[in-house]
Amino acid sequence: MGSPTLGILDLGAANRANIARALERCGARTTFVTTPDAIERCDALVVPGVANVAYIAAELDRLQLREPLVRAAERGVPLLGICAGFQLFFERSDEAPNARGLALFDGVVRALSAPRLPHMGWNLVEERERAPQWAYFAHGFAAPASSRCTVATTELDGECFASIARRDGILGAQFHPERSGAYGAAFLASFVALAKETACLQSA
Amino acid sequence: MLAKRVIACLDVANGRVVKGVNFLGLRDAGDPVEAARTYCAQGVDELVLLDVTATNDRRASAYDTVAAVSAVIDVPLTVGGGVRDVADVARLLDAGADKVAINSAAVADPSLLTRAAERFGTQCVVISVDARRTPAGYEIATHSAAVRVPRDPIAWALQAQELGAGEVLLTSIDRDGTQRGFDTDLLAAARAALRVPIVASGGAGDLASFAEAYAAGADAALAASVFHDGMLRIAEVKSYCAARGVRVRA
Repeated sequence: MGSPTLGILDLGAANRANIARALERCGARTTFVTTPDAIERCDALVVPGVANVAYIAAELDRLQLREPLVRAAERGVPLLGICAGFQLFFERSDEAPNARGLALFDGVVRALSAPRLPHMGWNLVEERERAPQWAYFAHGFAAPASSRCTVATTELDGECFASIARRDGILGAQFHPERSGAYGAAFLASFVALAKETACLQSA
Repeated sequence: MLAKRVIACLDVANGRVVKGVNFLGLRDAGDPVEAARTYCAQGVDELVLLDVTATNDRRASAYDTVAAVSAVIDVPLTVGGGVRDVADVARLLDAGADKVAINSAAVADPSLLTRAAERFGTQCVVISVDARRTPAGYEIATHSAAVRVPRDPIAWALQAQELGAGEVLLTSIDRDGTQRGFDTDLLAAARAALRVPIVASGGAGDLASFAEAYAAGADAALAASVFHDGMLRIAEVKSYCAARGVRVRA
């Protein structure tokens, strides 16, 4: 098995070029995905950030990618959401009260309550039994730390939110791993490794 | 807790880093890709790339330079210069920007900020405010400080925030390139009025000038010439500030 093919959903608002480059540095092939058929051909899928959740939720429906994406996740295809892409994995978001999330994770994305927002810059990702790691954040909304799938949290002015969530092969980061130095690169490398492993198992 | 950021700024014209004083007398300051690589290795928290001639020459930003710089870094990149509409924002993101700074086009049509935020989120939209002291207070300028606009920078930044800007890049034209320290009066006034993060720009000089900017309320301090000319190293700025109780990324 060579490099896995990672499909980056092109929902019209993302720093998709930077995500593609960062995944390619980890040894993945990448392709931009805009059709249900293309989803079927990928070993793993990435929903990027740098977007208003209302916009990408509407694009997801317009391109008819919602059901194929959920089906891929149910089949065990690894899925990574970044920032707004991650927020789309929850049930709903305060940023887009009328939009439906993918409900891959339980819970609702809320506006942060810090006096200074958006939360912009480097902050610590705290995962149990691991040293805290610096990562780059740029967001005004976040999933509560109490979400069942939370595996790491970050604190801003006394408020904790989920900075990484995971359920089986479904993974999300509130920070931008593609812009978070060596830690972010290691995070993406582990996702690429998961994609490769899963593709091997499914082809065996 | 969130760290204060140290940002290196690459003012780019015709594919080269340039730097002037008070926005004038641009001189060559090297290759942008080499500079980006160096600052990244030194631990810079973010890079800002401004195509300083884009608006005035009425051409689009230097997408190739953006892509080349973006490809060698693993920290965020904010790009400004010549952004006129939402399609320009999309093109810059596709080239390698993570955030986009808007100045002249937003002054001409403030609704651009709302339209950009509705698509890319407020966290992607940076309002770039170039401010100049006047006998009566302050005013703003557009087109790389060439066009004066009789408007208060803080009032404008506040309006921009309400319209959808998620960060303010606040540049003192008077201090730009002078190394006399940031305009802390301007920063303090902005901090008192604004909710969004503020990037201090214009006047970075000695190590103390960074700590002063943070103390005045800046969330990030941006510098160009002191880094380009090798007067300060980024790690040096961070250790100086950390020793004075400023939280920085190690």
